[in-house]
Amino acid sequence: MSTPVQRIAINIGGGYVPGINSVVTGAVLAAVVLGWEVIGIRDGFEGLLFPERYPQGGLLKLTPQLMESLAGATGCVLGTASNTDPFHVRTINPDNCVEEVDRSVELLASVQQEGIDAVISIVDAPGLSILLKLHRKGLKTVCVPKSAENQVAATHLSFGFNSALSFAVEMLEHTRQAAQSARKIAIVEVPGEHAGWLALQSGTAACADVVLIPEIPYDLHKVAATLRAKLKSDRTYGLVVVAEGAVPITGSQPQSNTPATDSLKSSLSPGATGAAGSHVIDHSGYAAETVALELQRLINHETYPLVLGQFAKGGPATAVDRQLGLGYGAAAVRAIHENRTGVMVAFQPPVLKFVPLAEAINKVRTVPSDSVFMQIARSLGIALGD
Amino acid sequence: MDVLIANPTSLKGNVLNIQHFCTHDGPGIRTTVFLKACSLRCKWCSNPESIHRRPELAYNRAKCIGKKECGLCLKPPCPEGAFYVIDGTDDRVYVNWDLATDCGAETAAVCPTQALHMFGDEMTVDQVLAEVEQDGSFYRESGGGITLSGGECTVQADFCAALLAEAHRRGINTAIETAGNVPWANYEKVLPHVDLMLHDHKLTDPERHKKWCGADNSRIRDNFKRAYETFPNTKFIARTPLIPGVNDDETHIRAVLAFIRPHPNVIDYELLPYHRYGEAKYEFLGRVFEMEDFKSPTSESLAHLQAIIDEAFGRNRAPIKV
Repeated sequence: MSTPVQRIAINIGGGYVPGINSVVTGAVLAAVVLGWEVIGIRDGFEGLLFPERYPQGGLLKLTPQLMESLAGATGCVLGTASNTDPFHVRTINPDNCVEEVDRSVELLASVQQEGIDAVISIVDAPGLSILLKLHRKGLKTVCVPKSAENQVAATHLSFGFNSALSFAVEMLEHTRQAAQSARKIAIVEVPGEHAGWLALQSGTAACADVVLIPEIPYDLHKVAATLRAKLKSDRTYGLVVVAEGAVPITGSQPQSNTPATDSLKSSLSPGATGAAGSHVIDHSGYAAETVALELQRLINHETYPLVLGQFAKGGPATAVDRQLGLGYGAAAVRAIHENRTGVMVAFQPPVLKFVPLAEAINKVRTVPSDSVFMQIARSLGIALGD
Repeated sequence: MDVLIANPTSLKGNVLNIQHFCTHDGPGIRTTVFLKACSLRCKWCSNPESIHRRPELAYNRAKCIGKKECGLCLKPPCPEGAFYVIDGTDDRVYVNWDLATDCGAETAAVCPTQALHMFGDEMTVDQVLAEVEQDGSFYRESGGGITLSGGECTVQADFCAALLAEAHRRGINTAIETAGNVPWANYEKVLPHVDLMLHDHKLTDPERHKKWCGADNSRIRDNFKRAYETFPNTKFIARTPLIPGVNDDETHIRAVLAFIRPHPNVIDYELLPYHRYGEAKYEFLGRVFEMEDFKSPTSESLAHLQAIIDEAFGRNRAPIKV
């Protein structure tokens, strides 16, 4: 490195997932060991782009003492930013006209002006492309992947997933008891627009009857047959877990009205488009509603849909996510120390590696057909809709 | 472009589309010319491809023939990572819109099936009017003419003014659709050449206007009032795109009526029920359509609000169909 690193910054793009504070703590502690100063940029890059919005400053000095005081706390010390793309900052110009302005050059100048040598960005899949673009313009950046759905490619495990999984399993247990006493079939929708990890692993842990994931188009007649067989024995209830991106096989389309839109929330994220160029998800709850309604038509049993949705992305971090977060934060500092920027930290057991950002974008980490989790589910008699 | 030049009919503007045989954009059968650029960002916008001034790239994946057959967009000059295929799916291309935002006509040109295409084109006043005049006989028969829409057509004020002035010179009736969020200087250039101004009153409260449309409405209201007074011979029709849960309330409708009724040249007030016809275009542009959970207003709600307007204008008429 031409000049030694003295000051690094951390920011967070996208929404909250449990464990963010652990990543920040890991980076702060590791940086302090190297004698570096660490500052946080509030709300993504907004602390630098809109300092006037922050009476106490858009930057926050991060110290081990501050992070210690936040140990175990939920929330995010720096705030998040789900909408700010420095290349398209919505602005009202002096003529009161709205326009999107490319402020990336200004952002890079602010980074330089603040004496920031490198930036650690904690982002989900959509944020990686923006960081790659900034890196191509000169920003020294290291990304840390967060995803409650564990769908970021190139890493075995994004932080936030384990906490979402624990929460989902607990909720499925609650739902099972409720379904048992109500003698109904509960259809529980969990996050997972493109990847079915959360549905598959939580459904397996809770010993659900059926798990439907985006990777396996489901045949509702087969799902109904599975449930009918179970209900013929001494069972009086059922538990079906459906990922929000689960879709029926061609030719067994639900009879109910297709979503009014059949189209996209469109793609800020790679892979967000479906086969016909349209988004695969219409809105949260649609997958559970569809399955519940159609199943009820096929079997002589009452169904009801439940949606975990955003609940699964909040709350405290599990021990696994706290460890992983600390490791990710420390590894990001190591990457900067080794002058390896333009990379994402990836957990590829047993090591934390650095993957070029260009290799991490435009992919979704989906459940492969030979996944051990699929094998476990099938061996437990859990139907996967195929 | 908006510069004064010797021959105004050679002036160029960014045109999105020319639509023939329109019956809802003013009297008679009209040709509507959609211009690029808008100064607001209404969440319900049905012409998202008109928002930005420059021509922009769009993608229709249904037309892609895939990497095996083609794959031209996966190579230079297209930027690395902007286009990609996902292993395990069909081999048709996806777009990474974060990396493809700087792509333009040169990118669209590599696509043989026009799955990648451009929204918008640069045209002169003469070129636009040559196409518009193909419908001349319909205008004469029906009392129609040309309507400029957008986007916000008055953002390109010089082009807009030149186009309307030349249309007038050729005996064509002129109308514009405008939301009014432009400097008064733009209106000053355009309005002398306008026979009918269809103008939107989207929301009354400035803060709510800003939340839903991106900017407040203080200058819009000033512009409209000043336009009514400065151009007494121009006819105005006020309109409200009626969005349930946003502005379909009696208070807003009555506020608009109070604003327009003192001005006799405001000859009508129309309600435009919310629709989602533009939704597919958000897909083509890789943008998020935020209004997917919004429904069209009910016929009861529409009839109720229409009755208030009819009463204010002292007339009876059949309710509008949603």
